[in-house]
Amino acid sequence: MSDIKRITVRRQKIRKNYIKTKLIFLVVLAAVLLAVAVFAKYLCPYDPYAQDLLQAQKPPGPAHILGTDRYGRDMLSRVIMGSTTSIFATLVLVAVVTVTGTIIGIICGWSGGKVDTVLMRISDLFLAFPSLVFALAVAGVLGGGVQNAIIALAAIGWPKFARLARGLTLAQKDSPYLMAARLSGSSTPRLLVKHILPNIAGPILVTAVLDIGTMMMELAGLSFLGLGVKPPMAEWGSMISDGRVMLQTAPWMVLAPGGAIFVTVMIFNLLGDTVRDYMDPKERSGR
Amino acid sequence: MKKQLITALLFCAVAGGIMSAAVLAEGKTFVYGTTGYGVQMGDEGLNPHNNYSGWSALRYGVGETLFKYNDNMELEPWLAADYEFVDDTTVKINLREGVTFSSGRAMDGEAVKECLDHLLAVHDRAPGDMKIESIEADEMSITIHTTEPCPAIINYLGDPYGAIIDMQYGTDGVEGDSAGTANVAGTGPYIATNVTETQIDLIKNENYWGGDVKVDNVIVKTFSDASSLAASLQTGYIQGTYGLSYDSYALFDGNPEYTINSCATSRCFFGQFNYDSEIVQDEAVRKAITMGIDREGFCTVLMEGRGIPAKAAFPSSFSYGNEAVTAPDYDPEGAKAILEEAGWIDTDGDGYREKDGQKLAVRWLTYPGRLEQPKLAEYAQATLKDIGIEVDVNNTEDHLSIAESGAYDIYVSSLTTAPTGDPEYFFTTCALENSAKNRSNHKIDAVEELYEKLHQEFDKTRRGEIAVQMQQAMLDESAIFFVSHLNMGIVTKANVTGMAAHPCDYYEITADLDVQ
Repeated sequence: MSDIKRITVRRQKIRKNYIKTKLIFLVVLAAVLLAVAVFAKYLCPYDPYAQDLLQAQKPPGPAHILGTDRYGRDMLSRVIMGSTTSIFATLVLVAVVTVTGTIIGIICGWSGGKVDTVLMRISDLFLAFPSLVFALAVAGVLGGGVQNAIIALAAIGWPKFARLARGLTLAQKDSPYLMAARLSGSSTPRLLVKHILPNIAGPILVTAVLDIGTMMMELAGLSFLGLGVKPPMAEWGSMISDGRVMLQTAPWMVLAPGGAIFVTVMIFNLLGDTVRDYMDPKERSGR
Repeated sequence: MKKQLITALLFCAVAGGIMSAAVLAEGKTFVYGTTGYGVQMGDEGLNPHNNYSGWSALRYGVGETLFKYNDNMELEPWLAADYEFVDDTTVKINLREGVTFSSGRAMDGEAVKECLDHLLAVHDRAPGDMKIESIEADEMSITIHTTEPCPAIINYLGDPYGAIIDMQYGTDGVEGDSAGTANVAGTGPYIATNVTETQIDLIKNENYWGGDVKVDNVIVKTFSDASSLAASLQTGYIQGTYGLSYDSYALFDGNPEYTINSCATSRCFFGQFNYDSEIVQDEAVRKAITMGIDREGFCTVLMEGRGIPAKAAFPSSFSYGNEAVTAPDYDPEGAKAILEEAGWIDTDGDGYREKDGQKLAVRWLTYPGRLEQPKLAEYAQATLKDIGIEVDVNNTEDHLSIAESGAYDIYVSSLTTAPTGDPEYFFTTCALENSAKNRSNHKIDAVEELYEKLHQEFDKTRRGEIAVQMQQAMLDESAIFFVSHLNMGIVTKANVTGMAAHPCDYYEITADLDVQ
C-alpha cells in the first residue's frame, strides 16, 4: 500500500471515529433531554404550577436558580415541566408528518398515474402557502391547544416527506432486487413494507431528525402567538410570550425558556447532521 | 432613460419626505403613543356619533361636550354656561358665548340642536340613555324635552358621544381634504389634518375659545403592543404614552427623564356568573368562587400596585363606592367550608371537588384586549385550585360570540362603571334583565325594582343610596364579583407638561399640553 493511500485510509478512520464519537455524545445528550421530559414531574424542585406572589419576579438566586415569574412560580421547575410538553409535542408532530408523508409518498411513487398526480398536486397546494401563515390559519380555525397546534403544523409538514418518499420509491421501483421479489410472488403490500420501506428509511429518518429542531421552533412560535397550550400549562413558547413584556425588567422570564429551546434545537440539529454524516455512503465507504 | 426616471422618483421621494418633515417640524411637535385608539377599541376616527369614536374626539382635543367632569367627577359647564330643570322632563341649557367650530362656524343653539339631533338619529346608546323627545333651539340656548324623567341627562351630555361638532361640516371630512374619513369640526384646541385607523395628525386651533394652545403639532399613533409602546418612549420615538403595561412602569418609575401621572378611575374588572349554566346555579359555588379570589394580591403584585381592590362597581371616591357595600373578603378556608357544607367533596383525591359524580370545574371566559384580564384568569386558576375548583380559562378575542352561545360559567370583563359620574350607566349596561352586557342572563327582582326608583330620582344623595342597595342586592345573590379598579397612568418625557390622567379617562390632550 502506498504512503498516500495509507494516509487517506488513516484520515478516513479518524473521521469515522470522530463522527461515531460525536454521534454517541449527541445521542446521550438527546437521551438526557428525553429523560428530563419523561421524569420532569420528579425532577422539578418546586411545583411548577404553585403560585406564590410573595416570590414574584425574583431574579435567579440560590432559592430559585432561574428566578421566578410574575406569579412567583419557579422558572427552573417550569422549564423542566415545559420540556415534557415541548419535546413530546415536537416528537409526536415529527412522527405524524413523517409517517403520513412517507405513506403518501410511497403510494404515489409506487402507483404512479392519476393517484400520483392528484396527491402530488395536493402536496403542491400545501407547499404553495407560506407555512407559518397557513399553520396560523388552521390553528386559528381549530382554536388553541397543543393538539390543534400539532394538527395545524402537520397539515403543512407532510408534503416534504411525501415528495422525498416518492422520489426514493421511484428510484427503487425498477431495481433488480424488486423484480426478483415480484417474480418470487411477493404481494404489493409485502413489497412495499418488506423491501421498499427499509431501503428508503435512512434518508427519511435523517430528514425527520433534522426536522425536529425546525418543528420545535414552529410549535414554540404558535404557542408564542397564543395558539399553543392553554394556561397554566408550562410550555417554552408560551413562557417566552408571557415574559416578553418583561424583557427589560425581568429578562430571566424569557432567557430561561429561550435558552431551553436554543439548547434543545441545537442538540437535535447537530444530531440530525451527525446521523446524516454517519449514514452518508461516502463516509460508509471509508468504514 | 430608466435610470433618469428612477433618479427623478428618488429625488421626489426624498424632497417630499424633507418637506413633510419640515411642515411637521414647524413649531412644537408632540408625538403621543396609545393603545386606546383604533378599531379594536371601537373608537377609530373622530366622529362622536359613531360607536365609541367620541372618546378619540375628546381625548385628543378635537371635540368638547356641553358639560365636563372635574377631578372629583362632578359636573361642570364646558360649552354650556349653565342649565336648569324646568320640570321633570324639560331642561334648559344656556350656551357659552364666543365659541366657534374649527370650520369657522359660530356655535349657537341651532348648531347644538343639529348635532344632538344627528346623534340621536344614528347613535346606538345615546337615545336609550337620554330619552330625548325633542330639542328646541333659541339663539344661545337649547331646551330639551324627554319622554320620561331623566335625572341623569346632564351627565349623559358629558359622555364623549355628546361632543358638539359642526354638522354642516359633516362627519366624513371635506372631500379632497387630506383629512380623509371620519374627520369632524369640533370646538377643541386641536384640528385634525389626517385621520386614519392608526394615526391622527393634529394642528393647533389658532382660534380656540379657551385660550392659547401651546403645542403646534400633535401626532397620535396607535400601538397594539405594550412592549413596543414602552420601547418607543425609551427611544424617544414618542414623547408620551397611554396604556403602558404594568410590567413596564418599573422602567420609568423614579427615572428623572420621565413623568408618571396616574389617578384612580371607575374602570372596574369584574366577573358575572352565567345562571344558564347548571354548575354556577349552585349558590355555594358562586359564593366560594367569590371568596376564593385574592383581590389584594392581584392588585398589589400582578397589577404592580396600579389597581385598587374592589368590593363594589364604583371606586371609593364615590359615595356609593367600595366602602358603602358589604362583600366577602378573600377567605379560602371559609370557601372550603361552604363547598363542603353544600356537598362538594374531593372524593377521588385529584385536588378537585365532586358532587353526584360531577367535577367542580368552571369555564372562565375573558379576552386579551385588557392586559389585566388574562393575568387575573391565571391567578384565579391557582387560588381556586387551592379550594378545589378547576378553572378552564378561555382567553379569546372571540369572547362575544362565545358569550352569545352561552358556553361559559364566568365572564370576566372590565367597564368604566361611572363614565358620566353617575351610577345609572353601570346598572343599565350590566345589571338589568335586558342589559346589553348582562352576562349573568339573570333577573334579580330587587335590582329591577330599585332601578325604577333610581331612574326617576333627581336627588343625588338618594340616587347614591339606591345605587348602594342595587349593588348589595347583586352581591347578596353572589351574581357578580368585583375584583379591581384601575389606576390609569400617562407616562411622558419630563419636558412634557400639562398632560394629566383624569378619573373619567376622557381628557388627555388639552390646550395645557406643552413641550419645554
